[in-house]
Amino acid sequence: MTGHTIVLAVSLLLLAPLVAGCVSLVVSGSRWLHVTNLISIGALVGAEMVIARAVFAQGSVTAFGDIVYIDALSSIILLIIGTVGLACSLYIRTYMDEQVARGVIAPKRLNLFFFLFHMFLLAMVLATVANSLGVQWVAIEATTLATTFLIAFWRRRESLEAGWKYLILCSVGLSLALFGVVLMYYSSLRVLGDVSAALNITQLQQVAAQLDPHIVKLAFIFVFVGYGTKVGLVPMHSWLPDAYTEAPAPVAAMLAGVLETVAVYAILRCRGIADQAVSPEFTGGLLALFGLISFALAAFFILVQHNYKRLFAYSSIEHMGLAMVGFGVGGAIGNFGGFFHLVNHAFAKSLAFFAAGNIHRRFKTVEIDQVRGLTTVLPWTAVALLISGLALAALPPFALFTSELQIVTALSSSGLPREWTQPGSRFPVVLLLLCGVVAFAGLLYRITGMVWGSAPKDIVHGEHWSVGHIPIVLLGTMLVGFGLALPDFMRQLFEAASALMTSR
Amino acid sequence: MIPDQPIAQAVALILAQAVVLLCVSPAIVGLINKVKARLQCRRGAGILQPYADLQKLFRKQPVLSTTTTWIFTATPYIVFASTVTAGLLIPVFASQMPLNFAGNIIAFVYLLALGRFFLILAGLDSGSSFGGMGSSREAIVASLTEPAMIMAIFAIALTAGSTNLSTIVHRTALLEGIATDPSPHLMALAAVFIVALAETGRVPVDNPATHLELTMIHEAMVLEYSGRYLGLLEWASAIKLLVFLTLIANVFAPWGIATSFTPIALSIGLAVYLIKVAGLALLIGTIECMFAKLRLFRVTDLLGVAFILALLGLLFFYMLRG
Amino acid sequence: MSWLTPHIATQIVDFGSAMLLVTCFAIVAQRRLSACVDLFALQSLFLAMTAALVAFFTDTPHIYIAAALTVVVKVVVIPRVLKSVIERLNVTRELVMNVNVPASLLICGALVMIAFFITEPIIPFGHLLTRDSLAIALAIVLIGFFTMISRQKAVTQLIAFLMMENGLFLGATAATYGMPLIVELGVFFDVLVAALIAGIYTNRLQDAFDSVDTTRLNELKA
Repeated sequence: MTGHTIVLAVSLLLLAPLVAGCVSLVVSGSRWLHVTNLISIGALVGAEMVIARAVFAQGSVTAFGDIVYIDALSSIILLIIGTVGLACSLYIRTYMDEQVARGVIAPKRLNLFFFLFHMFLLAMVLATVANSLGVQWVAIEATTLATTFLIAFWRRRESLEAGWKYLILCSVGLSLALFGVVLMYYSSLRVLGDVSAALNITQLQQVAAQLDPHIVKLAFIFVFVGYGTKVGLVPMHSWLPDAYTEAPAPVAAMLAGVLETVAVYAILRCRGIADQAVSPEFTGGLLALFGLISFALAAFFILVQHNYKRLFAYSSIEHMGLAMVGFGVGGAIGNFGGFFHLVNHAFAKSLAFFAAGNIHRRFKTVEIDQVRGLTTVLPWTAVALLISGLALAALPPFALFTSELQIVTALSSSGLPREWTQPGSRFPVVLLLLCGVVAFAGLLYRITGMVWGSAPKDIVHGEHWSVGHIPIVLLGTMLVGFGLALPDFMRQLFEAASALMTSR
Repeated sequence: MIPDQPIAQAVALILAQAVVLLCVSPAIVGLINKVKARLQCRRGAGILQPYADLQKLFRKQPVLSTTTTWIFTATPYIVFASTVTAGLLIPVFASQMPLNFAGNIIAFVYLLALGRFFLILAGLDSGSSFGGMGSSREAIVASLTEPAMIMAIFAIALTAGSTNLSTIVHRTALLEGIATDPSPHLMALAAVFIVALAETGRVPVDNPATHLELTMIHEAMVLEYSGRYLGLLEWASAIKLLVFLTLIANVFAPWGIATSFTPIALSIGLAVYLIKVAGLALLIGTIECMFAKLRLFRVTDLLGVAFILALLGLLFFYMLRG
Repeated sequence: MSWLTPHIATQIVDFGSAMLLVTCFAIVAQRRLSACVDLFALQSLFLAMTAALVAFFTDTPHIYIAAALTVVVKVVVIPRVLKSVIERLNVTRELVMNVNVPASLLICGALVMIAFFITEPIIPFGHLLTRDSLAIALAIVLIGFFTMISRQKAVTQLIAFLMMENGLFLGATAATYGMPLIVELGVFFDVLVAALIAGIYTNRLQDAFDSVDTTRLNELKA
């Protein structure tokens, strides 16, 4: 991999969504919009593949001087962005066209939708590849701004309410994260003294052991609370169910699958630096504790849901909590399980929201009680719903079972970090398994209720094969495939990333 | 007592301060009224009008209600005495006065509180509903100004290193203590200014010129008084106003005050003092014209702000040590 | 300037930050929305002045740019946007608050103390003349957070958010003499876009709900 190819790939990564966004504003006609979208996503995925190969060869990649930094951790996130983005783009092809055809939105608004979608992608990519923690913050805040109008896209009262809550809560949370970044800068300035590069991840990783532990502790707490709001950890999660319910299905898929993952990435980056200054047990304990609480609370909320989109929203909170537990416990297995879980969850959740979108379009309701007999009404969607539901409930042979097993193994072997519980206590594992069972029951009950049974009277039966079904097949296959046999390059990627997290 | 000071000089200084307080206070009230009149495009009464009012009141025979007790007749004397004594504790034109051993700032606040306590009782004593209403309102305002005042005093005392008014003024005049720490100083100044407006019954807390009983606080308590009793109470409230203005002027900006006892220093100190107090009177007159009187439950908001400013002053002392 | 010892410079900068904190309390004590917007503009002006003073005393010219941006964006543009939003929506005062004025003032006082306790362990490490302002910056952030919770009108919540950003800028200036320039620019851009988006949003809220009282936004429940 020559330096030129890498630079080209990185610029493609950043320019593709930017150009596509600007083009979407001026182009008219939905076919061209979709074409632009697919081309840019394709370019994105291609660039990611190139960069992933380069990361395998060199360990980490920097480009444009010190502006861009990509290592194994960033590569995983980029892969998630690319794959889910591609799936969403294919799904949007049918979804949006139907909405325009039904007259739900004016054709002109489609331009705005794609513009915001591309800005969203650009911001997420920037957050993943930026070397400076400050630029990363700016990009994540930009994702909040880009998605506010996407969530409120249908302009109904509930959508506006959800969008406003999202804007305010996430902005407040991110302000706290900015304070944490300022404190990080404060601590690094004292060691490095150089003004412009002191926030760079590359620099921080080199001097991390010399940073003052008090400042870094405080900084990490603020960053964790701030970005944790974006991830949807309890108690900062109150925007999440409303936003996911009201957003259009592809937007919800992107939010659940990708945006949360990018926020987790931001936390992990900060953790990697903080672990050398403060004891890893402190940061790990924080992650694991909040993860456990989120998992437990979300599991119980899943039991009482009667709105299937909200059901998936709470399932998101639950799985993110589980991933946090994995990262918090740490070690080779814990980190591997965490990354694997992030990838699997992204796929499963997008699949779930695609199915939800199809159901909503046909049944025109979000109530679970009113949706029955999917096998006769929408057979492909029924399969998708079944696969995603069973996967989210962590059933074998789906991949989520594997990653969850890994995390539970790590938790039971090392327990929560010393600072937060007595060593050797079995309570966390028992709690985890118990809440897992609760979530399993809740999900399965609702999903099977929707899939089987006799369909309501006045619903049109039958589902035509369209472009929007390709991602369903793709994601479903990957979920099953990963559960049975993980491809080699992915396994090496996960191992490299978890080595990064534990090499302290 | 100041060491090595002859008793005659000490007594002369105390008497001089008392005379200054007694004689200048009605002029200050007259000045405020004149400023208000001018700002409202009226001619207004002369600055020396309050002297004529006092003279008139002392010549008249008081009328007492048969339902009143000894509290009613004793209160004007108690209020007058406590106010003048409080005034003697503050440095007026010289920063080190013979009574400075007793010049504790907390004693100052509670001497004034003693007078106010008896005034509240006297308002209730006459048995009229307006008196009772005025007393209860005065009690509300007093209970809110006291924490603010004490907080501000703590802030001042901490930055100056003592609760003795004389020490505070002396050190500040020599550019030590408060003068080197502007932030808590200014917060305490703002708080004390608002408290001064509340305690002396000025707009926006209470309107001293109102004729409507329902809007009165201080006037309602003295509604039943007449003759020399009323004269004493009016004079006492004028002295209280002057005392607060002296507090603000000399504790927060004492430059010009006499730090030694030479005749030149004393006369300069007196002149500077009169100019400062007159300037503050102008400021109060202007504020009275700019704002309307607040409704009673908004007064609590205003005094809450005063308390918070004083609290901030205290916090800044600890936080901003620079 | 020989009289400009580091001690006096610290005092002046501390005074600027103290004025910032006082305007925070003034915003909390205010009931009229247009007065809140004016106080916010005043606060941003104090912020720009404090930043410029820091730049002057420490010879770091890039803070001047940030100070100038603060004046343009937060003293001129955003208050104008907010004023037009208030006019269009015809809301003038906050009629009912979750917490009344004296209680909220007291809570804000407590938050200042909490902020001081949180930052106390790290302040002595600073050798810069502005290190005390870090406590005030955190206090402003916490007060903004509290105001956002205790107020109902969407415009006031937006002002509270902008106040938090002011506090963060003060913190960045105080602790680290400002962030790298590109980060500062990014943050300003974000804040500006957020204010514009929220302005558009309140318009839509008004159309949909006939009010911008956020307690009406309670149709979505657990």
